[in-house]
Amino acid sequence: MKDITVEVIGVDPPCKRCQATLKNVEEAASALKASGFDIRVSKLNMVSKDVIAKYGVVVSPSLAVNGVVRIVGKVPDIKEVERILRAAIK
Amino acid sequence: MTEKIRAIRSIILLIFIFFTIGYLIYSRIMAYSLAPTMKPADFHGLPIWEIPVAYLVDYFSHGWICLLFAFVVAGLVYEFVPKEAITKYMSGNKVTGYGLALGMAPFLTVCSCTMVPLFAGVLYSGAGIGPAITFLLMAPAANILSILLTGEIISWELAGVRIIVSVVVALTAGIVISKTPWGKAIEDEHQQSSSTAQTAIEIVKPPLDERLWASLKFAGYLAKQILPFFLLGLVAVSYVEAYLPEDIVGTYLTGITGVLIASVIGGPLYTPTLVEIVLGKGMWDLGMSKGALLSWLMGQPYDVANALAVSRITRWKVVLTYMLIAWAGSVIFGLTYGMLSGSI
Repeated sequence: MKDITVEVIGVDPPCKRCQATLKNVEEAASALKASGFDIRVSKLNMVSKDVIAKYGVVVSPSLAVNGVVRIVGKVPDIKEVERILRAAIK
Repeated sequence: MTEKIRAIRSIILLIFIFFTIGYLIYSRIMAYSLAPTMKPADFHGLPIWEIPVAYLVDYFSHGWICLLFAFVVAGLVYEFVPKEAITKYMSGNKVTGYGLALGMAPFLTVCSCTMVPLFAGVLYSGAGIGPAITFLLMAPAANILSILLTGEIISWELAGVRIIVSVVVALTAGIVISKTPWGKAIEDEHQQSSSTAQTAIEIVKPPLDERLWASLKFAGYLAKQILPFFLLGLVAVSYVEAYLPEDIVGTYLTGITGVLIASVIGGPLYTPTLVEIVLGKGMWDLGMSKGALLSWLMGQPYDVANALAVSRITRWKVVLTYMLIAWAGSVIFGLTYGMLSGSI
């Protein structure tokens, strides 16, 4: 089974749009977790040195799955996150 | 089957979008005013409570399409502009850095809450203090929403001038600060090692109907963020129009004094986004010169709230330098534009 790391990158403290993204990601993840996948969701700060070294300048909110930036500067809806996660599982 | 549903949804959304844009163009061709039509004299004799009511009714009976248009277009542009370009290309190259800052800033930060973090991001990524400052000044001065509304409410000429002047001021401030010792000091603190691995980006593009829907949702989000302030601003404007005597505006907001005063009150008086446009229009109706109006609109980049946030990332010297340049820019271009347009 593949592990999936999902990172929501945004401002800290999280703004409304980061919170919305995080909520959608968690909801999409919990549906997949129920079917037995190991998904870890975390929230990163876009201005921390580590994040910039790894991902460069991103626009809040962004989404990275397994180290690959998938969404920049927009709130994805649950369906969209689910599609991205399912693609990562394959 | 799902393909069919998607196609139908896309068509419905597109019809709505074309209706919005088409209606605005239609009203333009028919040449009826989208800005408030009440003149200051109309307010005299109204009871205090009725002034904002009359103004708001007047405003929305004309202005609803213009607001709807501005929010819908901003939502669309925001959705379809390739925002990841900044992640992909913002790096050590100075020319690209400035180009990206100028080109992307108007589209990335329709709401100001992400502006300062993005400024920090650009700086920390090693792109340099220059592009970071350019980005910071360009974003509020020429963001897509305020340009659209400046065009619709005041005039497209002024909107165009606002873009050009913003580019010049933002670029000048960025380049000048990158040459100062204190600017260089900040830059040296944030040199990214050149061995930084290329960021892995594979943007997923959802189907068209979802993208259209997302852009309308974002338009709604923007409206929710901005309209409450905008309404409050309109109430304030109605009182300005009703009570601010025209001879005061004529005396203090025209000529060289007018430009100077407008440039100074435009900044520290932190007007929430877009209110400055209506307030400017109000004072313009009362006799403010075009030059002063431009200076007033250019005041946004050096508002106090942002300056405080930025001073935590850089030092005060940098903040003061860019504020000074932005202020000087607003005065110089206010005067120039006033002279060129014959309204100073």
